[in-house]
Amino acid sequence: MLKLNFKLPLFNLISKIAFTGLFLLLMPYIIERINLRQVDNDLVQKREQVLSLIGDIGIEPFITSDSSFGSFNILKEEFISIEKPVSDEDLNYIEVTSRIIEGEEIAYRVLNYSFKIDDQAFLLEIGKSLDSIFHTERNIRNLMLVFLAFIIVITFFTDTLYTRILLTPLERIKGKLKMISDPSLFDRIPVKTSTSDFRRLDDALCEVMENINLLFQKEKEITVNISHELMTPIAVLRSKLENLLSKEDLNLKTEEKIEDSLKTLQRLQSLVSSLLLIARIESNQYLREDSFSLNDVLKEIVSELYPIAEDACVKLKHDLSDDLQIKEANRSLIFSMFFNVVNNAIKNTPLGGQVIIYSLIDHEKYNVLVCDTGRGMTESQKSTLFSRFKTRDRNSSEGTGIGLAIAKTIADFHKIEISASSELGKGTIFSFFFPENS
Amino acid sequence: MNVLIVEDEKSLAGEIAEFLKSENFLCDTANTGTEASEKIAINLYDFVLLDLGLPDYNGLDLIREAKINNSEASFIIITARGAVEDKVRGLNLGADDYLAKPFALVELLSRINAVARRKFNLTNKDISLGEFTMQVQSRKLLCNGSEVDLTKKEFDLLQYLVLNKGKVLTRHQLYEHIWGNILDDQYDSNFIDVHIKNLRKKLNLHAPSPWLGTVRGIGYRISTEQTD
Repeated sequence: MLKLNFKLPLFNLISKIAFTGLFLLLMPYIIERINLRQVDNDLVQKREQVLSLIGDIGIEPFITSDSSFGSFNILKEEFISIEKPVSDEDLNYIEVTSRIIEGEEIAYRVLNYSFKIDDQAFLLEIGKSLDSIFHTERNIRNLMLVFLAFIIVITFFTDTLYTRILLTPLERIKGKLKMISDPSLFDRIPVKTSTSDFRRLDDALCEVMENINLLFQKEKEITVNISHELMTPIAVLRSKLENLLSKEDLNLKTEEKIEDSLKTLQRLQSLVSSLLLIARIESNQYLREDSFSLNDVLKEIVSELYPIAEDACVKLKHDLSDDLQIKEANRSLIFSMFFNVVNNAIKNTPLGGQVIIYSLIDHEKYNVLVCDTGRGMTESQKSTLFSRFKTRDRNSSEGTGIGLAIAKTIADFHKIEISASSELGKGTIFSFFFPENS
Repeated sequence: MNVLIVEDEKSLAGEIAEFLKSENFLCDTANTGTEASEKIAINLYDFVLLDLGLPDYNGLDLIREAKINNSEASFIIITARGAVEDKVRGLNLGADDYLAKPFALVELLSRINAVARRKFNLTNKDISLGEFTMQVQSRKLLCNGSEVDLTKKEFDLLQYLVLNKGKVLTRHQLYEHIWGNILDDQYDSNFIDVHIKNLRKKLNLHAPSPWLGTVRGIGYRISTEQTD
């Protein structure tokens, strides 16, 4: 994939080179034609001059009955000869032929013209060396070549420069698109441009993003409001059931039923509060103003989950080589994010397996890895991993399957890149890349 | 102690009142902000449980009013709105604690007790549990003079059970109290069972702990008879 501000000058360059090439191919032929015509005109002109000279002073100074006339300049570039013709035909043509002059064979363009004076036929030959013609041709060609090469180079640079300036607004618009994942952060300042196409593109984009932002905002508000509305009836039910359970005179069966109802209610509460949590994070209701050591968080998580892992016969440990002093983050959210992922890893690792947390610096970015030797995931499981209400095992009674969705939301909130790679039956690796500036 | 419950959801106010009465509190309820405002102006309360989401009143204004009237009342905010700013603002205005709906009634009680201890400067007395002694102040559990090595979570768990001695606490109530700050989906986790198991193991290394009972299907309880 090439960039537009590279493609346009490149296309210009290629087309220029192609045209120049074609021109250079045709040039020798054209120049030759032009040159020959020029030479022929010259020769005809000279013939007229010679004829008018003969008309003025007569043929005698040039030719006697037994000798012919020949004249050439010292560099043998031109010659003029008058002689008696071999045949009686009327000749008037121009041809290319070679002559031997002073033992040297030279190619000439020769005009042959027969004429009669006092019933006596003469043949006039005027020649011009082709060498001189070719020489001019070569000079012109070289000049053209240099000139064209110069033009190509110059225009390539001006094209590139102009295209870049022309496409600057497009670059700005592209830059805006980076923020598209969070419409609330979209830059609504219009891009400066004198190109109407870009103006329209930018305006349309701003409008679309504005609409999406409004929809998002509305959706978040609705989620928050619904969750709040749901919390009150849950609170009522919960208090009622808890009060009921504390009654002394209950039989065992009733107690169990009440406890069962409480558990169901608890599940409902968990779902609603998870949704509420996600909605609150997404609508920026949490503050990011804690500074803390990430390794401390990871160690705390290991020590908190250690008994759980031990109970499940899973080895849980950490191997923390680099630490990150994180700034402007929400500690309890970051804690929850890792807690959810590590807890999830423990749950999905069979007896005797292990879960290891690594922290290291990779490509100048701080990276935390949570590796387990668990069941792993299929491709389809992986694709829905971070979506809400999708657990690996639909029949699993554990969790609402929203834990990883929460983790993802928290990661997005902190601009942490979270991803998972997995091999079925071998294990899963969760990776967290922290932004460079944190 | 005198408690005013300001809650527009009548049946919730009723349940809270019923529970607190059973814990020997004197309860009064107000279902609107105006009613609450009047009651706070006239009566002396030790505690006001305040729902911020009142239809006619900004709950935070009630705290302001009460502070101006020099009320001795401690405020515990109860809300379903739970926005972070609300929490911060409420606590800044002088509320003593903050509880998000829905909450366990025992949790509410333990918050009230904690505020009361702070307010009346009560020192936590050592609590005896069979052969064990819990030093609440120094967060230590002793058995015949030697310390039982407990993790922070294990101590928290035991302390919460001790504070609610005689009551059955469900796993969820315990989980919420100990891991309430962690936002996850562990509605059916075995966290509590694992911790109780470990706790028992550690206790039994020193002395038997029959007072820490399992209530099958429901949760755990520290029985009153066997601790003394």
